[in-house]
Amino acid sequence: MASISKSERSYIQTSLHSTPALRADGRGLFDFRSVFLETGIAPLANGSARVNVGKSPQEGGGGTEVIAAVKLEVEDVQSGDGVDGGRIACNVSCSPAAYSHVPSNSLDDLQYDYTTVLHQALSHPTLHPKNLGILPKKKAWLLNLDVTILSDAGNAFDVMFMAARAALWDTKVPKTRSVQYAGKKPARVPDENMDVDDISAGLSGFDTRDLSVATDFELADTWDEGEPLEGRDRWPVCISLNIDPPVYYLDATLPEEAATPLRLILLFAFPSSSSPVLQSMKLLGPGELLLSRIKDYLSEGEKYARGLFNALDSKLREEDLRRTQKARSKFSVR
Amino acid sequence: MGSRIEILNDDGYRSDGRRQYELREITMDLSHRGTADGSAMITHGLTQVLVTVFGPREAKMRSQTLHDRAVLNVEVSIAPFSTGERRKRSRGDKRILELGSAIKSTFEPVVQTSLYPRSGIDIYVHILQQDGGLMQASINATTLALVSAGIPLLDLVCAVTGGVHSSSPMLDLTTLEENDIPHLTVAVMPKSGKVTLVTMETRLHVDRFGDIFKLACEAGQVIHKEMKKAVKARTQRLVDAMDTAPRAHGGYADRDIEMD
Repeated sequence: MASISKSERSYIQTSLHSTPALRADGRGLFDFRSVFLETGIAPLANGSARVNVGKSPQEGGGGTEVIAAVKLEVEDVQSGDGVDGGRIACNVSCSPAAYSHVPSNSLDDLQYDYTTVLHQALSHPTLHPKNLGILPKKKAWLLNLDVTILSDAGNAFDVMFMAARAALWDTKVPKTRSVQYAGKKPARVPDENMDVDDISAGLSGFDTRDLSVATDFELADTWDEGEPLEGRDRWPVCISLNIDPPVYYLDATLPEEAATPLRLILLFAFPSSSSPVLQSMKLLGPGELLLSRIKDYLSEGEKYARGLFNALDSKLREEDLRRTQKARSKFSVR
Repeated sequence: MGSRIEILNDDGYRSDGRRQYELREITMDLSHRGTADGSAMITHGLTQVLVTVFGPREAKMRSQTLHDRAVLNVEVSIAPFSTGERRKRSRGDKRILELGSAIKSTFEPVVQTSLYPRSGIDIYVHILQQDGGLMQASINATTLALVSAGIPLLDLVCAVTGGVHSSSPMLDLTTLEENDIPHLTVAVMPKSGKVTLVTMETRLHVDRFGDIFKLACEAGQVIHKEMKKAVKARTQRLVDAMDTAPRAHGGYADRDIEMD
């Protein structure tokens, strides 16, 4: 909803500024709508997730729905686009069903905006997972994260990053084994004068380098899809603060987003081993903000992001459990 | 040297364990999604397609409206993770446009567009997983989505793929089979037996064509039964939900409630 009438805007703003603050669906300023999350929705992908925020319960519709899927491809470091250690490429596509009143050119622009934000945030070197390389300096994984927005009922950024995080959590990197080709050793003619410690020409005894001679790799044949992508606890969560000074609130619906002049998008990572990190920050909208207030918003945002992170974490672990347990019980029934 | 996968082995079983004329497992989900007027998600085995319908409403492209009937607009998007190998297709990809225009011409004679002049009906097809039978799944899902949106149709359109493997006809092909044998897709209107779409991109001997075409039309009837079951179940749930909603006191829903 890009445009909103003056009276509608004034209606929403007045209720937000009143005491107690009122929102159209009766939520508090810092309440999220119900979040539905499911992992493993695309079995052909290495990791996938679907998140829906604000769906009406009991088979209702609506809400912001986003699907994210990760696919791993092998890239050649020397001759192709590969980077030693692997690389991440993110891509967002907006379904025309979600933005049905938007003409297709603007839809491409919107997709590009979302893609840039997602890609710049997640492909940052500090978040780079360590198990994306296959053969050092020869072959590496390219991680393609494809996000599709199926419907938008407000707060698309938060939901998008939630889905991306869930898909990355769910990703399993196939185990590889490096393969080395050994040439046939030349037949030795027995010679009384032969030195027993004869070393093949070209290799000096003083050469202590540990050179990898692996030239290719093969996929190890295991029962599972691989090991989880490293750095699960480093992926950030996004929290959007909709600011209408002096109040700010979370999880806006479409009319609320159109009525609020300023949106502060914060990405926080909560790695288990160190203190919280602010990964990224973006200010959107035609409003203005006092510099002194930004610090307050950052600390408040961190508080809510941590709540979101913990909730997401426990749900993801629960999903892991459901899928492994479900698989096991299915097999035991047979 | 790997073993070649047999399309149809001597005992009459296919590569995925099905019989010659056996269709894959079908699930139909008609639950409401987003703000769409109608939506349906169908799975044929491992092929999963989601279709959402908006309309009849003000057409997106005003210049293309017709004075006496509604305009159908079909947009297809294929998810990059839908196949084994990731492949990102842009919106203007020729294959996608072709799929969209085939779906549009399938439904033009079926949707009663003359009831809605100067408006548009938007059909958005999302392909989430592909394992053969793409056109078939898209058409079936579109039918259900249109029904779910309450748009009047002359009849349900049911589509099936069929192929011929060295003179043995087979139905509902997977990707493996589609890559190997000549195949076609047929969309029928079961009540009248009329066919609204036949497409074939491979070469097939004329003598074989008659058999597989007839077979596919009969298979359409099977899918029609499944569709009717799904639509009826959905409608039943909606009716039950309305029945259990709280009524005004006295049981007369139309009476005004006096507030003291």
